[in-house]
Amino acid sequence: MSGSVRIARLWDDRRMNRRNMLRSMAFFAIAANGLSACAISEAPKGESGGQGGRAVNRVDEPKLNFYNWTDYIAPDTISSFQAATGVKVTYDNFSSNDEMEAKIASGAAGYDLVVPSDNFLRRFVRGGLVRELDRDLIPNLGNLERRFVEADYDPGNRYSAPWAWGTTGLAYSKAVLGDRVTGFSAYDLAEAQGRGMVLDEARDGLSIGLLALGHDPNTGDAKQIDDAAKYLLSLKKKLGQISSDVIEPLTSGQMVLAQAFSGDAFQARRANPAIAYTIPKEGGLSYVDLLCVPKDAPHALNAHRFIDHVLRPDVGAALSNAVRYGSPNAAAKPFIDKELLNDPLVYPSAEVLARLPFVKDLGREVEAKYADAWTKVKTG
Amino acid sequence: MRTALRRVLVLGPASLWLAVFFLAPMALVAQYSFATRDLGILRVVLPWTTQAYRSVLDPAFLPIFGRTVLYAGLTTVICLLLGFPLAWFIARHGGRWRLVLLAAVLIPFWSSFLARIYAWKALLDETGFLFTDGAVILGLSYGFLPFMVLPLYVACERMDYRQVEASYDLGHGRLSTFWHVVLPGVAPGVLAGSLLVFVPAAGDFVTPKLLGGVDQSTFGSVIDDQFRGGNNWPLGSAMAVVLLGLVVIVLIVRGKRGEDVL
Repeated sequence: MSGSVRIARLWDDRRMNRRNMLRSMAFFAIAANGLSACAISEAPKGESGGQGGRAVNRVDEPKLNFYNWTDYIAPDTISSFQAATGVKVTYDNFSSNDEMEAKIASGAAGYDLVVPSDNFLRRFVRGGLVRELDRDLIPNLGNLERRFVEADYDPGNRYSAPWAWGTTGLAYSKAVLGDRVTGFSAYDLAEAQGRGMVLDEARDGLSIGLLALGHDPNTGDAKQIDDAAKYLLSLKKKLGQISSDVIEPLTSGQMVLAQAFSGDAFQARRANPAIAYTIPKEGGLSYVDLLCVPKDAPHALNAHRFIDHVLRPDVGAALSNAVRYGSPNAAAKPFIDKELLNDPLVYPSAEVLARLPFVKDLGREVEAKYADAWTKVKTG
Repeated sequence: MRTALRRVLVLGPASLWLAVFFLAPMALVAQYSFATRDLGILRVVLPWTTQAYRSVLDPAFLPIFGRTVLYAGLTTVICLLLGFPLAWFIARHGGRWRLVLLAAVLIPFWSSFLARIYAWKALLDETGFLFTDGAVILGLSYGFLPFMVLPLYVACERMDYRQVEASYDLGHGRLSTFWHVVLPGVAPGVLAGSLLVFVPAAGDFVTPKLLGGVDQSTFGSVIDDQFRGGNNWPLGSAMAVVLLGLVVIVLIVRGKRGEDVL
């Protein structure tokens, strides 16, 4: 046929016919499986964190490679450490747990110190990516508040030391919603229709349903999780988006109400003073970002010295004053700005705090239930 | 002997490329789809299971499947309606401006796809149109239009215009000429363009994620959720395999006629 467009196919050549193609595909499937990096293996049994023992610098040099969230440090945290120890710090940033995990899981990133959130630390420990802390090198661990020593994500600080903590609550536009946002019923407000957001994380998202129905956000009850999914499915009709990127939509005014991490909410407030944050009367969740040492860290000893440095009362207070997050350091309290210390959104009262548990690890089966319920919410 | 060596030299690099970056990853995805998910850092573990496929074939996924096909189908139709007059005009009346006009179609696509979709987000922000089915289809049509214009342009250009003149001479009207002469003449281009638009539109996840709201998730965006949220790699892989199956069906449906195209 004249004038037709024709692109040659591989199997125009008789030797490369479809059957051969399938055969080579099967061959590569087997070959790919042979590569140890891609092979599928049995699930590891129980905890398998890196072994403890003396922390030493595998590479003997006064260096430290520190990998932290963006905008999450005081101007003098690193310089004061360098002045005190003579160790030179290379400081790199990431903006999501997923991004950081990809680097650490590959094993060759060369970082000595990273700051995952509590849910990711758990994965790191389960996957044997982090080493046990050498507690003899960190006497300042004793400065920590009890809540962060006993916490379920890492009891007794075996693998991690807390950096800063925050809460999951509701961020909203005061200009549009005024002071009517007190709990999850705010999603029903006329001005919030189609302009509300929920975090795109299974446990955080479903906690709205669990809390609104009066259940424990750490429940393992299949029926309650199911009810929470149903609650969110009907809530979805009133939402604009399900996404974890809340800062931009809130500051631009595209969205007026969002489930948000307190840190993100305060950052949005810096860009747009009309943004406010509240802890819903039904309750919420706490989260904490944690310093930990990857198993193959070349300068593990220096990493331990940095952790001890950050846990000093004056350094911890300066950090908290700069990033405006809650400090896990009880000994630092006297040095923290009064205004910050008295902000009930940063340091909620004991009574409110009781309604802000950490996200508990509920084990493979229950976590899978949450993941499935969340997929149902998003696709339903 | 010499031809054999030449064959290896000519086909070798491309075959290696296909093997390493196409066949091997695809084989891995197929393999993952039969694994068990792990909530730790391994993501996929033994034993083998068909659980993921049972989840995909669950009736709960039907609306997403239907929505994906609808988005991709409407996008293809819109690109065809917009692209055909454009391609025809450039090919027949472009004259010495032809290359410039074609470049004008392409130049916007030298900038990042992501940045352009974000731009749409900003443009639609105040209209109340954002986060609707229409916004997603608009974004998809915008994004894949050049894939329709280029093959159509080639088809229009190669079509012998004397056939149209002959048709007029033999008494056909405009509509009848279009239906019986022009359309069959450019059919290979229409098919090629439709395939090039339909297939990536069905798999796209950025557009529904950014321009869509809570009820605009497509197959592509759910696959993205399964991988990036770290929730369920086997399910994501199984969905990718099913999506691939859909594409293969489309390729089969194109029929004998289409074999001359792609």
